[in-house]
Amino acid sequence: METAAAKSVTAPASEDLKDPAYLKIRDLIYEISGIYQPEEKLYLLASRCSRRMAAVNAKSPSEYLSHLTTRANREAEMRLLVNEITIGETYMFRSPAQLEALRNVILPQLIKSKTAMGFKRLRLWSAGCSTGEEPYTLAMFLLEESARLLAGFTFDILATDINDNSLAAAKAGIYGEYALRSTSELLRKKYFKPHDEKRLQVSDQLKSLIRFDRVNLNDDSKMLFLKGLDLIFCCNVLIYFDLNSKRRVMQHFFANLLSGGYLFLGHAESLYQVDDRFRLVHFPGAIGYWKAPPNYGGQNTP
Amino acid sequence: MKTLDEVRPAIMSLDAIPAIPAIVKPLAAMLQLPIEKVDVDQVVDLVSYDSSVTAQCLRMANSPLFGRRNVETVRSAILTLGLQRVQAILMGCCLNRIVPAEKWAFDPAIFWRHSLGCALVSRKLATLIAYPEPEKAYLAGLLHDLGVLVNTLACTEDYRKCIAAAREERLPLEVMEQKRLGFTHCQSGKVLAEHWRFSDDIVGVIEFHHHVDHTASDPALVFLVHLSDLLCRLRDLGHGYYEAMGVDLARDQAWLSLLKHCPELANLDLARLTLDIDGAMDEIIALVDVVFRPASAAAH
Repeated sequence: METAAAKSVTAPASEDLKDPAYLKIRDLIYEISGIYQPEEKLYLLASRCSRRMAAVNAKSPSEYLSHLTTRANREAEMRLLVNEITIGETYMFRSPAQLEALRNVILPQLIKSKTAMGFKRLRLWSAGCSTGEEPYTLAMFLLEESARLLAGFTFDILATDINDNSLAAAKAGIYGEYALRSTSELLRKKYFKPHDEKRLQVSDQLKSLIRFDRVNLNDDSKMLFLKGLDLIFCCNVLIYFDLNSKRRVMQHFFANLLSGGYLFLGHAESLYQVDDRFRLVHFPGAIGYWKAPPNYGGQNTP
Repeated sequence: MKTLDEVRPAIMSLDAIPAIPAIVKPLAAMLQLPIEKVDVDQVVDLVSYDSSVTAQCLRMANSPLFGRRNVETVRSAILTLGLQRVQAILMGCCLNRIVPAEKWAFDPAIFWRHSLGCALVSRKLATLIAYPEPEKAYLAGLLHDLGVLVNTLACTEDYRKCIAAAREERLPLEVMEQKRLGFTHCQSGKVLAEHWRFSDDIVGVIEFHHHVDHTASDPALVFLVHLSDLLCRLRDLGHGYYEAMGVDLARDQAWLSLLKHCPELANLDLARLTLDIDGAMDEIIALVDVVFRPASAAAH
């Protein structure tokens, strides 16, 4: 979220921030999309709102609140606001704390249990992969760990989106400075080739690890066939679903995952009151949702 | 490697350190009184005893974390913040001065961010579960790692290595302390806390915040601080290094025990709580930099 803050054009006066309407808007967004903004970061929310307020010509936060709650086009307006909030969110290595949790806690767990079963293969799914930053990040991460942590393991990554344009961009794998802002020089050299003056293209090696496909998470028939996954990443996608659809998607995710697998959502997203089968597990700086083995009673993950 | 008994005389002699303000003991005694028996003038005197303590208290009282602005006198700080909060702040300011800058095994700012973060989260949790004394929870959170200061002072070089090893192996501090020192900050903190006559409830938190299966005089307080400590360590307000852990807080023993007394806890949105801690982070860092850095950096 910090990134977009730096880009924000209109900083509302600090007096405006005290308007209780912002807290109501914050709670409404959380209720509908699951994205949460702590009170201290309301200035970010206010700056996103200010753009939408200008667009709909709302004179005050409380007037804008009525656009989100009582006006006829409230659902469309909420979608536009959520778009403002999540805009520019995607770049490679955007969630280092998730990768640290994988490296330090989750992969060692999975490797142990899989080695015991003699099944040395990992399956990952980037559900709602947008323009491909997330699956390529995972591919680089796994390749970097393949000499050490994942020695002897094979892995494949499924990357899906509903949007054909996004998928086409993801398959092409051409990225500019914004997408690569957190990608080290070393990794750029190793996994990318020059495309034009300003952009790089992912190497064929990276592409070969990822299978791109068009999947609508609302399409039950397709969701039923995705099985045997160890890790699902679904960042800032559920925000566009209503509560019932979210619950259905969660049912599928739970069934898609192998026992002991994890689901990760976007940084500020939560499944509060959406699902109670997954166990909420805290890692330093990251939250994961765990499909515990049946009858597993322990507090800490094994 | 020394045993706790070998370190004990060093802990007892901490009183002799000139940097210890003369106000710690009277303050500890006052913190045990029922609030209606505390003499406001005496607290004003204690805060005013040392000009740098006064300044630190006022800076803290003026922080947005405490919801107040434009507090200019010690008396108005006490009236606006409440006696107990001021006493807790005062104790934090005093403790900050017991470790000389050259002895710190890690950045003191990291220690105080953890302590202050834990104090704030303990108070927040206390309010959420309707614990009768949220300010006591604040004080307990602030003081729970007293033993880290003790170890820093009593085993300076060994402790430096111990922390380096914990960082290297990504293990919790108390695990590495047990391994390398033979005792933990819970045990050494208890020795000093008893010597300074902290209340039984606070001593219990210092001794048992990593051992919630033991019976303390105020178990709920221990549970609150245990959970706050975990939450802070999970949200980058820990001991300054990555601890390899995945914690299911809702199945933590302390959580389950609190749940028995407070069934509403089952509805607490834990993901949201952690994001709230993130939200308070900038202010905690800023506050610690203002309040706790000068005393420790001055000796550099």
